Amino acid sequence: MKMEDMPLSGPDNTKLEALVHDIYSELVEDACLGLCFEVHRAVKQGYFFLDETDQESMKEFEIVDQPGVDIFGQVYNQWKNKECECPNCKRLIAASRFAPHLEKCLGMGRNSSRIANRRLASNNNMSKSESDQEDNDDLNDNDWSYGAEKKAKKRKSDKNQNSPRRSKSLKHKNGELGSSITSEPYKYNYNTGISYETLGPDEVRSLLTTQCGVISEHTKKMCTRSQRCPQHTDEQRRAVRVFLLGPSAPSLPDADAVVESDSFDIPDGQTLMSRLQWEDSPDISPTDSASSKASTNHSDSRKPKKKKRTSLGLNSVGVVGVGGGSLTGGSSSSAQSNISLSTKKKRPKLSAPSISSIYDDLN
Amino acid sequence: MSKEFRMRATVNQKLTEMGERERLKELLRVKLTECGWKDQMKAHCKEVIKEKGLEHVTVEDLVVEITPKGRALVPDSVKKELLQRIRAFLAQHAT
Repeated sequence: MKMEDMPLSGPDNTKLEALVHDIYSELVEDACLGLCFEVHRAVKQGYFFLDETDQESMKEFEIVDQPGVDIFGQVYNQWKNKECECPNCKRLIAASRFAPHLEKCLGMGRNSSRIANRRLASNNNMSKSESDQEDNDDLNDNDWSYGAEKKAKKRKSDKNQNSPRRSKSLKHKNGELGSSITSEPYKYNYNTGISYETLGPDEVRSLLTTQCGVISEHTKKMCTRSQRCPQHTDEQRRAVRVFLLGPSAPSLPDADAVVESDSFDIPDGQTLMSRLQWEDSPDISPTDSASSKASTNHSDSRKPKKKKRTSLGLNSVGVVGVGGGSLTGGSSSSAQSNISLSTKKKRPKLSAPSISSIYDDLN
Repeated sequence: MSKEFRMRATVNQKLTEMGERERLKELLRVKLTECGWKDQMKAHCKEVIKEKGLEHVTVEDLVVEITPKGRALVPDSVKKELLQRIRAFLAQHAT
């Protein structure tokens, strides 16, 4: 049965509307009745007034509707106006900023040393390369581009990790920093570089445990390279620490330092090995120029000899690959004599038999 | 008007059979709770109960007190939407 034609004539329409309204009323009454049953059951079971039993606590936790106060009655800006005097720098700091300020001011806490080191590194990369250019031409060519990338990456990570203020101060380096620095004397002044005079003892100590710290004669700034930086000797580093921290200054990794002076020579022997195996030459030049600084004069005489022989070694490897076994003896002996020239003899001797074993395999 | 009577009977039957009545009921319940009607009515109930006394309240008392107020307090938006849905149902599945 279908009533498909919905006549818009008067009586039918009104009848339809009446029907619709009737259905609607039925539904509403159903809802009301449901509510009544629910309430009545709650009353009879005794849980209807359960949330109103304790008048006292009801008054206590009533919703507050006053201006200047939230619904719990708490004031929002209560500590905003209060200021505290910093015991370190004697400035009045807002209460909500007091704890972070103390952290930076005293140089304690995770973030402060991290920021300080990062700023030193990025700043000294700039200033160092400008000042000592006659010494570090090769190094600077490599480091300049790498340092720029590092700086860019670090700035992006700075934005996320530190507060927005810090990243702003990092961005506008040269010009605007002067104004911001006058207000915050404990921060590092980019324009004059890392001078040890402006640092507190805690900061100096934290710097010296991670960085080289040797004070350059030209600029009076501390070197921000690592503890093993090839431009300065450990004697210099020790001297700086004594100078800055007093004779009881600790924490130069002496054991490592001894090994380090050797390592400049030995890796040459070992890199020879690797070169013989994989024919990798470009690593030679930076390490050689670095080692020439660290070690004494006699290494200079060694340098050219090594270079020549390494090229010989390389050629011989190439020939071995193509030709046959005839040259193997010659090349292995030349490699051996190369290595015996280096100062420390333990490791090269051990490596010599390994060379012969390689060529045995080839044969 | 037995024709009309029969028509109504058919419509109601169709509503129930197709489950539309239940759906409409549920929809109304949800909408009334959302708009705060239920809480209003509960507050009114509390007054009635305090008047009549906790022990002697009957369902009839509540129904008599609550239903007229409930009918009046339904918000217009809810009412309109429900009427719309009923009309749509009738237009689609008219007997």
